[in-house]
Amino acid sequence: MTVTFPHKTLPWLLIAPQLLVTLIFFLWPAGQAVEQAFYQEDPFGLSREYVGLENFIELLQDPSYYNSIAVTFIFSFSVAVSGLVIALILATMADRILRGQMVYQTLLIWPYAVAPALAGVLWWILFDPAQGPIALWLEYIGVDWNHYVNGSDAMILVVIAATWKQISYNFLFFLAGLQAIPRSLIEAAAIDGAGPLRRFWDIVFPLLSPTAFFLLVINIVYAFFETFGVIDATTSGGPGQSTKILVYKVYEDGFVGLDLGGSAAQSVILMMIVGVMTVIQFRFIERKVQY
Amino acid sequence: MIENRPWLTFVSHAVLIIGVIAVALPIWVAAVASTHPAEAFGQGSIPLWFGDYATETWQAVLFNAAGNGVDVPVWKMMLNSLVMALSIAFGKIAISLISAYAIVFFRFPMRSLCFWIIFMTLMLPVEVRILPTYEVVANLNLLNSYTGLALPLIASATATFLFRQAFMSIPGELVEAARMDGAGPVRFFFDILLPLIRTNIAALFVILFIFGWNQYLWPLLITTDDAYYTLVMSIKRMVSVADGAIEWNSIMASTILAMLPPVAVVIGMQKMFVKGLVDSEK
Amino acid sequence: MAAVVLNKVGKKYPNGFHAIPAVDLEIKDGEFIVLVGPSGCGKSTLLRMVAGLESITDGELTINGTRMNDKEPADRDIAMVFQSYALYPHMTVFGNMAYGLKNRGVDKETIEQKVADVASMLDLSALLERKPRQLSGGQRQRVAMGRAMVRDPQVFLFDEPLSNLDAKLRVQMRVEIRQLQRRLGTTTLYVTHDQVEAMTLADRLVVLNKGNAEQIGSPLELYDRPATPFVAAFIGSPSMNLFAAQLNKKTLTVGNSVEISLNSEHAFNGSVVWGIRPEHLTVCETDADFKIRVKAVESLGAETLIYGEIDGVSEELVLRLSGPHQPEINSYISLQAPQDKWHLFDAETKQRL
Repeated sequence: MTVTFPHKTLPWLLIAPQLLVTLIFFLWPAGQAVEQAFYQEDPFGLSREYVGLENFIELLQDPSYYNSIAVTFIFSFSVAVSGLVIALILATMADRILRGQMVYQTLLIWPYAVAPALAGVLWWILFDPAQGPIALWLEYIGVDWNHYVNGSDAMILVVIAATWKQISYNFLFFLAGLQAIPRSLIEAAAIDGAGPLRRFWDIVFPLLSPTAFFLLVINIVYAFFETFGVIDATTSGGPGQSTKILVYKVYEDGFVGLDLGGSAAQSVILMMIVGVMTVIQFRFIERKVQY
Repeated sequence: MIENRPWLTFVSHAVLIIGVIAVALPIWVAAVASTHPAEAFGQGSIPLWFGDYATETWQAVLFNAAGNGVDVPVWKMMLNSLVMALSIAFGKIAISLISAYAIVFFRFPMRSLCFWIIFMTLMLPVEVRILPTYEVVANLNLLNSYTGLALPLIASATATFLFRQAFMSIPGELVEAARMDGAGPVRFFFDILLPLIRTNIAALFVILFIFGWNQYLWPLLITTDDAYYTLVMSIKRMVSVADGAIEWNSIMASTILAMLPPVAVVIGMQKMFVKGLVDSEK
Repeated sequence: MAAVVLNKVGKKYPNGFHAIPAVDLEIKDGEFIVLVGPSGCGKSTLLRMVAGLESITDGELTINGTRMNDKEPADRDIAMVFQSYALYPHMTVFGNMAYGLKNRGVDKETIEQKVADVASMLDLSALLERKPRQLSGGQRQRVAMGRAMVRDPQVFLFDEPLSNLDAKLRVQMRVEIRQLQRRLGTTTLYVTHDQVEAMTLADRLVVLNKGNAEQIGSPLELYDRPATPFVAAFIGSPSMNLFAAQLNKKTLTVGNSVEISLNSEHAFNGSVVWGIRPEHLTVCETDADFKIRVKAVESLGAETLIYGEIDGVSEELVLRLSGPHQPEINSYISLQAPQDKWHLFDAETKQRL
């Protein structure tokens, strides 16, 4: 039990600013989103009528919504897996070497600071079908690349941009995880006759799995919600609907399409998804604390 | 290393160098592109080596109106970004510090309710409640203002959690010793608590500064007045020009300028940042 | 300098748990009182109640005649040395010692004077500009004491202050604390679970068991005339040998093999706990009271501890002999237990007979 100060009003004064901001800018809007999800409103906000679950029903009958869900899952899964694998390889190598670790770390972590939108723009240019060096090189080896018309190309592009930014984060956690594995454990395995690769699979990887699981959740959350900028600054969800992830659809249906009820219903569903992920994350952190 | 296998060490370095190059590739191209005149991009490939147009591009980008529908120069947008990033970072740190202080060091009715209300903000990223939040800010007349840019983003469960964690790791006997020494809650906060967690604060500052600087969707929604544009959000406006005559050199220069401050902060405060980031999730 | 009086002081937690039923204790001005007992006996809770860090739910605490129950710790004019020392890690030794005075609005010169005085008394003068992490365990301990001393309080409270030190340093600091307290004459309340520490430091000891004061008295009183089997077992090392036995006026029976006839008739008749200290047993050739079978021998050089069993009795017995001895395992030793060294307790009421 922590030691506390006996005071009645002071704690309220201290917590008030945070509570106020939370109530005004978080809970009130969230409440309104929930309310709006049950109404049909005209685009100018002049009239609205209660429609019950109709917005949700409409949404769940809309093939483009299912398309968006599929796109989101493909996108998140690709970002999470490629980000984790590449970061793990780099972290394992960095953990092996004795000299220059700090230099590599510095050179690998800076993309963490780059805004997703900027990451998108940078890769957009590298892959530009007319001028981008990578697209031209692809053409040279016989791959026809055009993310303006080809949906898969566009998807690969946003996955690369989103992954590029996230590798640094994963790298730092894997490196910290690797460094936390007791040296004596590795040495014991070596004495037991396990080579470097065997040691990695039998000792290092199992011990790293909590970190990997944590990162998996974090990466999925990242891909779900924080990659709005990547999409918006590059493909804008296109071509067609091929990169329209859920978060982008909420924005587009609400702000561009002015379908307020539909957008609100999507918000409500997204909040539930975040809620579930947060609970998973929290349980995980709790479990880790008990160790 | 357990075994001395030079080839393995060699492979490790090779893989890392490839990684470093892959990570740096976009920046290289961007830096190179910014040293060529705009016309260079019309004819085929983007050049891969530096040109001699650097001064012109950078000068134009920094001080002339950005063009492509953005009527303010980049330095002005950088200033806006800086104001927003600093307000968010300091604002978050300040209100999270005191609310975590209240939650950890006091017992008051509805304490756990308050905690849960704050906790719920974790589940409500701005992306999922864009429209209603926009409406609230519009109703409060905060569109096109620095307050509107920063205030809605400064409530953060994450920062409150981190400080709560840090506070709870402070030994109870230290608090008791301070009480015996006659330190009340305010004195204790400034004399003992803040000095003890100053590294946590610094690490969090780095993370929050980056978070604030890199805001994209929020400024995109609530600023329609060029005077409040932030740099990161404007890049998109510069890219999406209808007629196709995109000035790649200036866009690349702007992009580099847009990532420079947060990257500098991360590299400059690397040790603290890495420790803060990794510890924060444990 | 002050007298501290605990009048039926008790603590009940909101969940109904009665941690401290009711403790009566009068501490005289300048007295050194040690609260001792096994872990979980409530000794730290009681100390913290005196400090004001835990609330007092029953009874009354007075210091120098003033009721202290509802006063803040800072207003009780007491100082405490914590088990972990609780030094402020970001402040220098000087800063740590000065902090309490600063908060009380003492002027700068007086603070410097007082800190310098205490520092020289504790041999800390050369360390004033260091941070706690640059100090050894013993030095930190001294700083913690210095922080308490500069305030010149009415009462010193110590919460197991030596438990983080190694054995050698512990003995050294023990002596130092005792000397300092004598010199300053400050009323002191000291908590420990270590009975050797308790015996060597205390003017009077309070042996606590489950929140109750089992016995209050000087170290020798407790050693010579323990009031209960609990105190008997707790004070003295190795512990007193205690056996369930039957007493009927003329004979004491332990198990089915030991029968000792009493020199003088005893009024009590019934089940008793019979105790005899390891150092009071003597080896004999004839007229043995009983025999033990040797199970283990610990040779400590100056003395030898022999662990054995009486056939047919479940309790183990320890025998302490001076000088080296080498009895063989499973051999028998005949023993006498001088009757003037016996301790007899009523098995029912656990009170001394």
